[in-house]
Amino acid sequence: MSGLGRELWFLWRDRAAKVWLLIGCAAAGLAVVFGLTEIAAQRDMIERLKAADEIERAVTTEGHREDWGSAAYYTFHLTYDPPEEFAFAALGLRDASPWKHRVRMLALEGQIHESDAANPDFALTGRFDFAFVAAMIAPLILIMLLHDLRSRERASGRYNLLSATSADVRMLWFSRAAWRVGALTFVLLVPLWIAGFMSGAGASKLFAASLALLAHLLFWWTVIAFVNSRTWTSTVNLTALIGLWLAFAVVAPAAIKASVDAAIGVPEGGDIMLTQREAVNDAWDLPQEATMTPFVERHPDLEPYAEVEGTFEWKWYYAFQQVGDQVAEPLSVAYREGRARRDALAGRLAWLSPPAKLERALQRMAGTDALAALQYEDEVRAFHADLRAFYYPPMFKGEAVTDAALAERPNFEIPAKGR
Amino acid sequence: MSWGSSRVSTIATAEWRLWMRSKSAIAALLAVVLIIAATSVLTAVRFTEERQERAHQQEVAEETFLSQPARHPHRMVHYGHYVFRTPPPLAIIDPGVDSVTGQSIFLEGHRQNTAMFADTRASANVGGFQTLSPASVYKVLIPLLLIALGHGVFVREREARTLAPLLAQGVSGVTLYAGKVLALTALSAALLTPMLIMSLIGVASGEAASVSLAVVAAYGAYLLVWSALIVLMSAALRTRGVVLGCLVFVWLSWSLITPRLAVASASAAEPSPGKLETDYQLKADLRKLGDGHNAADPAFNALKANLLAEYDVDSVEELPINFRGAVAQASEADLTEVMNEYAERRMALEIRQSHHANGFGWLSPTLAVSAASRHLAGVDLETHHRFLREAEAVRFDFVQGLNKSHVEELSYADDIHRNQSAEASRRARISPENWSVLNEFRFQPATADERFGAAKAPISMLTVWLTTLIAVGVFASRRLKP
Repeated sequence: MSGLGRELWFLWRDRAAKVWLLIGCAAAGLAVVFGLTEIAAQRDMIERLKAADEIERAVTTEGHREDWGSAAYYTFHLTYDPPEEFAFAALGLRDASPWKHRVRMLALEGQIHESDAANPDFALTGRFDFAFVAAMIAPLILIMLLHDLRSRERASGRYNLLSATSADVRMLWFSRAAWRVGALTFVLLVPLWIAGFMSGAGASKLFAASLALLAHLLFWWTVIAFVNSRTWTSTVNLTALIGLWLAFAVVAPAAIKASVDAAIGVPEGGDIMLTQREAVNDAWDLPQEATMTPFVERHPDLEPYAEVEGTFEWKWYYAFQQVGDQVAEPLSVAYREGRARRDALAGRLAWLSPPAKLERALQRMAGTDALAALQYEDEVRAFHADLRAFYYPPMFKGEAVTDAALAERPNFEIPAKGR
Repeated sequence: MSWGSSRVSTIATAEWRLWMRSKSAIAALLAVVLIIAATSVLTAVRFTEERQERAHQQEVAEETFLSQPARHPHRMVHYGHYVFRTPPPLAIIDPGVDSVTGQSIFLEGHRQNTAMFADTRASANVGGFQTLSPASVYKVLIPLLLIALGHGVFVREREARTLAPLLAQGVSGVTLYAGKVLALTALSAALLTPMLIMSLIGVASGEAASVSLAVVAAYGAYLLVWSALIVLMSAALRTRGVVLGCLVFVWLSWSLITPRLAVASASAAEPSPGKLETDYQLKADLRKLGDGHNAADPAFNALKANLLAEYDVDSVEELPINFRGAVAQASEADLTEVMNEYAERRMALEIRQSHHANGFGWLSPTLAVSAASRHLAGVDLETHHRFLREAEAVRFDFVQGLNKSHVEELSYADDIHRNQSAEASRRARISPENWSVLNEFRFQPATADERFGAAKAPISMLTVWLTTLIAVGVFASRRLKP
C-alpha cells in the first residue's frame, strides 16, 4: 500500500474525523440551500413589486394629469437591486441595508434613508450562509480534525515508533494533515459548486471563492501546525486552538469594528433629515428668490422660466424640495463618504482577522457588501436626478401633460454592474 | 447531611486547587476576565452616552416644534416631529435589537414612516458576530472556558485511576457528581460578578431590582446548564478526546448553528412580504378613502352632506367651521385606521416569526437565554413594537390636534384664498400657541411584570434544560463506574 493510500485509509478509519467532515458537508449544503432559497425569494419579490408598481403607476398617472406638478407629486417609482447570481453564497448586508425602494420627486434626503428591513430579531442573529460556514465554522472543524494528530500518537506511545520507522517524519505528518485539509476543502466546495452551477454564477467567481476558502483554511492549518509542534497534550492543544479561534474570529472583528467606528466619524443620520426638513419648511416663509436663485445655479437652462407668479406654483415647490437636498448635501456627502471610508479601513484591518477577511471577500464577490449597498444608493440618486431632469423642463415651461410626454418618463433600470 | 455536604465541598475545593495550579487554566481565565471587563466598560460607556444623547435629542425636537412661528396648521402637519427610542438601563448588559433597528422616527401627517438610521447600516462591516456585548460574552465565550476547565473533572480521575479508590472509600457517585458541579458552579458564580455589578449600575439608573437580578439569574441558570452538561459528559464518556469533541460539537450547534437555523426556519415558515410590498396594497386601500388634501374629492361627499345637514346650511362657505380642516381631520382618522391595521398585521407576523425562532430554545439553551435576556432587559422585538405604537399615538394626537385648530381657528374663506397674495397667505396662519398640542414623549421601558411575562417561555425552557440535565446527571452518577 502506498503512503498516500495508507493515509487515506487512516482518515477513513477515523470515526471522529468522518463525523466532523460530515458536519462540514451538511453545514455547507444547508447554507447554500438557504442561500438559494433566499435569493429566489428576493427575485420573486422584485417581480411582484414591479408588477404592483406598474398597476399603481398607471392608476396614479391617470388620476393626476392636470399638471406636471401633481403628476410628479403623486407618482412613486420603484427602484431595486436584484441579487447577483453568486449572492446565495454570502447574503451579507442585504438584511440590514435596503435593496428595494420607492422614490418620488420630493426632496430625496427625506426618502432615501427609509429602510424596509426584515425582522430585527433575524438581523441580530445573522444568516446561515456559506460565508458564515466558511469563515466561522470551517476553522473549528479543521481544529477538531487536526489538533490531536501528533499528540494522539504520542499519548498512545506510537509516536517514537512512527518517527523511527518513517522515512521522512515531516512528510508523514504533512501528508496526514494535508489529507484532512483537502477532505474538508472538498466537502465544503462541492455544495458551493453545485449551487453555483444551479444559480448560474460564473466559474471564475466560483474559482475565486474556492481560492479564498483554501487560503483561509491554509492559514488555519499553519496556526494548528504551529500549536501542534509544541509537545503539549491534545487537551492543551485544543484549548489553545479554540482560544486562537476566539481571538481571530470573534474578538478581533469586534475590536476592528469598534475601532473603525471610533476612528472615522459619520454625521448622525438624523441630522441629515433634520437639516433637509428645516430647509424645506423654512422655504415656505422665505421670499421666493431665496429658493429660485440657488436652484437656477444648478439648472441654468431653466433660468428663463424661473419666475414664480402668485404665492404658490409647483415649480417653486419642487425648487425648494431640491434646495432642501442642496442644503443637506454636505452632511449627506459626509455620511456617504464616512461609510465608504469606514468600509475601506475595515477592509484593511480585516487582514488581522482572516475569518473577517474571508467573509468580506465573499460578500464582495456576491455584491452584498457595504460598497454594493452604497452603489445601489448611488443608482437611486442617479435615477432621482433623471426624474428631475425629466419633469423640470415641461413643468417650468408650463406644458400640458400628454401621453406622448409620459411615455418618455424614465424607468428605473439596473445598470450593468462592474463588481 | 452536613457530613455529605462537607464532602461535596471538599471535592469542589480539590477541583479548584487543580485549576489554580494549571498555568493554562489561569491564562484562559485571565483572558476571559479581560474580555468581560473590556466589553462591559465599552458597552456601559456607549449606552450611558446613548441614553443621554437620545433623551437630549428628544427634548430638542420638542422645543423646535413648539418654537415654530405662526403658520398654516397643515404646514405644521407636514413639518412633523421626531421621537427617539431611549435604550433601557439594562442595555449596558444586552443591547438587544437596539443597534439593528432605527432609533428615531419622523412623524408627519398621512404617513407612518419607518424607524431610520440603524447603527448597523453605517458602521464597519466585518462579518460574523460583529459586536461583542457582555450578553454575548456570557452566552458564547464563557461556556468555552467552562468546557476547557471542566471537561476533565471525571475523565482526569479515570486517567489517573483515582476514581476506583474514591468509590471504594464509600464516596458515592452522586456526591462526586455534586462536588464537581459545585466546583463549576462556583466558577460560574465568580465569573458572573461583573454582570452583577452591571445590573446594579442598571438599578442605580432607575431599573427595577427584580428584573435586573433576574437577568443575572438567567445567565446563572444558563451557565449551570453548561456545568451540569460538562460534568455529565465527563462522567459518561470514556476518553478525554471524546468528551472534548462532544462538548465542542454541542457548543458549536447551540451557539453558532441552531440560532441561525431558527432564523432560516422562521423565515420559511412565516414569510414576510416586507413593508414595501404591503404598502402597494395599503395605497390601493387608501385610494378608496380619498385624498385629504383635496376637499373636492368625491370621497368626502358624505361628510359634506352630514355637516351641511348638521349646521343646517346650504354650502360649505356658510359652515361656521372650516370644511377643509374637517376633511383633513376625517381623512386622517380613516387613513390611520387602515395604516394601523397594516402595521398591526406586520407586527403580529414579526412576533410569530420570533416565537417560531425562539421555539428552537428547546434545542439550544443559548437561544433560550438570549431570548430571556432580551425580554428581561427590555430590548426585545416587543419593546421596539411598543415604541412604534407609542410613536404612532404621538403622531396621531398632534396631527389631529393641528387639524382641530385647522377646523376651529382658521376660517374657510381665508383658507381657500391663501395662495392669492402674500397678505392672504399671512391671514391663513394660526398662532404658535396652537403647537402645544404636541405631547411630551419619553420612551419608557415596559414594567417589570410585563417583562417577566414575556420572558416566561424562555425561562421555562432553561428550567427544563437544567432539571433534565441534573436529573440525568444524578442518575448517571449513581451507576458511576471507574
